[in-house]
Amino acid sequence: MSQVREPEFDRAVALVLRVGAFGCFVIMFAGVSVGLFVSGRIPLNIERAGVLLMLATPVVRVLVACFLFFREKDWKYGWISLGVLVILMLGSVFGIGEH
Amino acid sequence: MVTALLVILGFCAGLLGALTGIGGGVLLTPILALHFGIPIREAIGTSLVAVITTSTASSSVHLQRHTTDIRLGMTLELATALGAAVTAYLVGYFNRSALEGLFAAFLLYSAITILTKRGKVEGLEDESALIADETVIPPYEPKRYPLGLAASLVAGALSGLLGIGGGPIKVPVMYIFMNVPLMVATATSNFMIGVTAAASAIVYYRRGDILVQYAAPLAVGVFVGSLLGARLAPRVRTKVVVYLLAGVMCYLAGNLILHLMRGWL
Repeated sequence: MSQVREPEFDRAVALVLRVGAFGCFVIMFAGVSVGLFVSGRIPLNIERAGVLLMLATPVVRVLVACFLFFREKDWKYGWISLGVLVILMLGSVFGIGEH
Repeated sequence: MVTALLVILGFCAGLLGALTGIGGGVLLTPILALHFGIPIREAIGTSLVAVITTSTASSSVHLQRHTTDIRLGMTLELATALGAAVTAYLVGYFNRSALEGLFAAFLLYSAITILTKRGKVEGLEDESALIADETVIPPYEPKRYPLGLAASLVAGALSGLLGIGGGPIKVPVMYIFMNVPLMVATATSNFMIGVTAAASAIVYYRRGDILVQYAAPLAVGVFVGSLLGARLAPRVRTKVVVYLLAGVMCYLAGNLILHLMRGWL
């Protein structure tokens, strides 16, 4: 049996990635542009928002896939996605090492 | 001024990356470290943002062509994300010289790989590009999951350690050992890089190793560069680009080694 392909599934995940990528681009571009005229915390905070959205995009992608797998009653891959999500979350809990 | 330079740098790295299939991280990290005076750990964290940007933008395109195996990708991501998170955490305890030495070694290895294996891989990619237009994928069933997971763990660990994508490890393993068509292996590897890099980038961010004021202009440049590169790829003579890329890599590796030795003397 070959891998099952569902165009709709691909489209949903692609949408998450596209919104994330273009959204980040717009926010970061705005931050960089503002930074050309204003210095200080305002452009930095806009840029930070862009970077954080970029880091969140893959996490949201896993979350959406996880939801879709469970909705399709594809338990095996639902649990696998949940596992990936847990690893990603652990990174943000234990993320503070020595400086 | 620095901002403009960073945008241009990101643009060039994104363009070269899209044309040759080598991610931008491997170039951005040493350039940030050597020419912008950023400590190597912060340089790795910062370039991870650019790596996620490239993966996210390009895999949304691959997904629309239905060449990505989301189930296979998700399974292997268990291993890449774990490897990446663990080494990203451990990097906090590494000293700078060890990281710079490792990075120089990896740059030289990558330069040699793209110079020697180029012909073979390119022939295969041309073939897969032709099939990609029609999106006809032969039926397949991924095999040897334990081997794939082990290789993914190594690729993830390298990614967290050096801020790279790890495609050169995952693609051949999926293609040769797991019985996955090359086109699917390439798209799936690209797809996985976003999550792998995010797993380590979250750790770097929490530690304060992502310099936002550098990451944002870089990502802006990378985004435009990789989209343009993807458009230009069929029309550019890759031979010239590959030699250029290998040259840049050797130059950066040499400079890193010099930088290391200056620290010892």
